[in-house]
Amino acid sequence: MSTNGTRPTIVLDGEKVAFTPGETVYEAATRHGKDIPTLCYDPRLEPFGGCRLCVVEIEGARTPVASCTAQCQSGMDVRTRSARVEVHRRTLMEMLASENREVEVDELTSLASQEMTELVDRYEARTGRFEGRQSGASRPDDPNPFIMRDYDNCISCYRCVRVCAEQEGDYAISVKGRGFDTQITVEFDGHLKESACTFCGQCVQTCPTGALGDLKALAHREVEGETKKTRTVCPYCGVGCSVDLLTRGNQLIGVQPAMDGPANLGALCVKGQFAFDFIQHPDRLAHPLVRGEDGELHEAGWDEALDRAAEGFLRVRERYGRHSVYGVASGRAPHEAAYTMQKFIRGGFGTNYIDNCSRA
Amino acid sequence: MTDQEILARWKEEPAPLLPVLHAFHARDGYLSEDAIRAVSKGLRIPLADLYGTITFYHHFARVPGGLGCPRVCTGPVCVQEGALDILAELAPEGATGMPCSGRCDDPVPVLRGHLTLAGRSAADLVARPAPLPPPAPEGAAECVFRTIREPGHATLAGYRRDGGYEGLARAVREMTPVQVVEAIDRSGLAGRGGAGFPTGRKWRAVAEADGTPKSIVCNADEGEPGCFKDRALMDYDPHAVIEGMIASGYATGAHRGFIYLRYEYPETEDILAEAIREAAEAGILGPSVMGSGFAFDLHIRRGAGAYICGEETSLLNSMEGKHPFPRNRPPFPVTHGFENLPTVVNNVETLASVPHILALGAEWYAGLGMNGHAGTKVISLSGDILRPGNYEVPMGLPLERLLYDWAGGPLEGRTIQAVTMAGLSGGFLAGDDLFVTLDEPAIRARKSFLGAGGIMVFDDSRDMVEVAHAAMEFFAHESCGKCFPCRIGTQRLTERLAGEAGPDAVVAWVDEVADIGYTMKETSACGLGTAAPLITESLMRYFPDAVSRHVTGHGALPMAGPRGTEP
Ligand SMILES: Cc1cc2nc3c(=O)[nH]c(=O)nc-3n(C[C@H](O)[C@H](O)[C@H](O)COP(=O)(O)O)c2cc1C
Ligand code: SF4
Ligand code: SF4
Ligand code: SF4
Ligand code: FES
Ligand code: FES
Repeated sequence: MSTNGTRPTIVLDGEKVAFTPGETVYEAATRHGKDIPTLCYDPRLEPFGGCRLCVVEIEGARTPVASCTAQCQSGMDVRTRSARVEVHRRTLMEMLASENREVEVDELTSLASQEMTELVDRYEARTGRFEGRQSGASRPDDPNPFIMRDYDNCISCYRCVRVCAEQEGDYAISVKGRGFDTQITVEFDGHLKESACTFCGQCVQTCPTGALGDLKALAHREVEGETKKTRTVCPYCGVGCSVDLLTRGNQLIGVQPAMDGPANLGALCVKGQFAFDFIQHPDRLAHPLVRGEDGELHEAGWDEALDRAAEGFLRVRERYGRHSVYGVASGRAPHEAAYTMQKFIRGGFGTNYIDNCSRA
Repeated sequence: MTDQEILARWKEEPAPLLPVLHAFHARDGYLSEDAIRAVSKGLRIPLADLYGTITFYHHFARVPGGLGCPRVCTGPVCVQEGALDILAELAPEGATGMPCSGRCDDPVPVLRGHLTLAGRSAADLVARPAPLPPPAPEGAAECVFRTIREPGHATLAGYRRDGGYEGLARAVREMTPVQVVEAIDRSGLAGRGGAGFPTGRKWRAVAEADGTPKSIVCNADEGEPGCFKDRALMDYDPHAVIEGMIASGYATGAHRGFIYLRYEYPETEDILAEAIREAAEAGILGPSVMGSGFAFDLHIRRGAGAYICGEETSLLNSMEGKHPFPRNRPPFPVTHGFENLPTVVNNVETLASVPHILALGAEWYAGLGMNGHAGTKVISLSGDILRPGNYEVPMGLPLERLLYDWAGGPLEGRTIQAVTMAGLSGGFLAGDDLFVTLDEPAIRARKSFLGAGGIMVFDDSRDMVEVAHAAMEFFAHESCGKCFPCRIGTQRLTERLAGEAGPDAVVAWVDEVADIGYTMKETSACGLGTAAPLITESLMRYFPDAVSRHVTGHGALPMAGPRGTEP
């Protein structure tokens, strides 16, 4: 910001707009409602400059400039949608469509999985031009239960590699080879399980083509109904990552990270991302159980079970005092249940001996 | 040496990864899984990352005995000189091809471990020094080749006898760093590695940049097919390169230098190492350069086979042990170079010019060119020409004079059909454009560029579509894979030139090839991707009939035989 209080400006498609020093052309343009196409961009990562779809024309520059890596300079005259850059974007999308097995992928594949499809449609790039060899070799042999590695649909944007390094700090995957033969890999072409991968799923959720897929969600592909997203907070630990639960009817079919979650900005760990099987698991208790004279557990009604529990608690409190009770809420219980539990322990027993396994 | 000894030897040195990998590679004959795990642990590089980076380089062998397997140059000149037969004959020994390895004036080079052999058939392969530049034709005034042919010039004694290190002595004793920058500026010296950026301006930017330690990097990657001038300079005049680097350090306030040498020049590494040793022993390198109190140290870092590592930001990533993708610019290396600190990256020829300029004056150098162009340029001339070799031409010399008067013209009974410019990066010139003068503005006006100065000649026996195919195959092989237009574009163009894919109607074929080329030229992230389509562009401009014969599938000329034989 200059000293007299006026902010520096650029000209964006003919309109003078202010920018914050250090802001990239892409950021300023997006802030002003411009819809510049991107495929290698993830706002959480260092700009990479690989896909070149974000090129814009800048007055005085001989060739179009990648807006994600160019910083705003006072007085810059930028055209984000000139015929020239639109031609390049279309050619690039046609080239991309030519290197993949599929353009269409199931929306359950991941959060970002529709990005490429949407741009192919926007640029009417299903022309079949530029056909030739396809890139990437899938790894159906990777036995892990969480992540599909379908590199036949990979476009080498390296968002997975970069999110794993920059966001997760795990450095589990990298780029093998070069040029058209680049391939996402772990060391020595092995499986994710033997690598540094923590199965956080970040690579999956940022993959713009569905080359990486959420196997848990995809397993529910056949469930009928509209997919509904419900925003909540992951109960597993104290960080408080925001997630969107995907449901169809009454069934939970997947979890996606919330990019605008204040605590996580789209990051999750393996538990929040993938560990939701227990919710609909057949082994899950659906009725209260009460231990009988025979020492075995027997199905019982709620009234009977609650009476038995209350009786026991009261007896303990009577004999040993209110601090003899220690409540531990489960990380697998909903937040509302956890809240009720502490209310019950504090208000009901009059002790602060209440904890949650998620605190660990 | 044990793993721990190798790691301890290099760990505290700047840019340790490449030397560590080469040490394991040389010790074991390949890079084993255990070795890679040890390096990952010792240098704290994540294993997956290190594995990926190693696979980026062409020459790191991953199977036992791989290092000892012969590598045969299958570059554009060598395939015309019997390379494929040599490759076939050496196949039982596990021979593989490699891109042009910078010896097109003495084909065919074959690498065996740390040894270069050359010959036109497997039986003729001998280890011999790479050729000295031929004598200056017509007594032309030279700069970098002025004294290079003197016997013993590569030794410190010989170099000093021929006036070497006098310029540097004057600079460090009598001139301020600013005066050195001004002298280089006035000489008009511009980068000889391809981009032609004014050297004085580059040095001034580094001198004025904040941040230490600063570095001087000599770009000796010379990966451009058809370029072999830097090798001649380093083999026969290593002290000129060292002197130029020290002067650059003095001018910019840098106290350390690196020579990033391409893998395919093992003998050159030994020559440079010996010259550095001599210079250090004589007090020319070290804590007080020629007694001036200015300190300068020099390190050699050997590449491992990747053309893109000649691109300066890719080179810096390679030195730093990172995946060698080019960086986004700005910021430029002059402020954010090696380890993100101010860095001069200059080509071998650029740096080797400096001692002569310091010794004989900026005005002398500027005056060497013709028609107002400053200085000279070494042209590596190869292919179908009577006397291939490195020629130092005054800037502005007509190409015709170089081809016919200096180098003897085409072979008996042949005519010159086309030449390449900038090695392969400038595409082809043919027809009337062969009457161009050798200076950047004139060549750019013909939609090409002089670049590093490699010129390959193709006579009328050559199938230009096949030549273009080989050229594009090179770019596809060397594309780093960072940006979409180049990664996919080089592949698609190669397939179309090979006749493996693409429309079989001429109009549609030309449309696709032109569209890919246009987007590559305008949107690629570095010079490889922006230059590669000059091949197809110039092919279609000069040889439309050959293109349409190729597309419609009939009438392509049969593959040409070795030099001088009928196709
Ligand atoms: C693909 C590519 C390969 C390059 N290879 C080399 C090389 O081998 N040697 C070199 O000096 N410059 C090479 N360059 C140019 C360098 O990026 C850089 O401009 C040069 O080293 C600067 O030195 P100069 O100013 O002395 O020419 C290459 C550039 C590109 C785009
Ligand atoms: S799941 Fe997480 S740790 Fe594993 S590769 Fe993907 S980003 Fe890296
Ligand atoms: S797997 Fe997906 S995120 Fe990773 S490089 Fe390929 S397309 Fe990009
Ligand atoms: S133009 Fe080619 S070599 Fe250069 S960054 Fe792009 S992919 Fe890599
Ligand atoms: S978003 Fe800018 S290059 Fe991909
Ligand atoms: S050395 Fe073989 S083509 Fe250059």
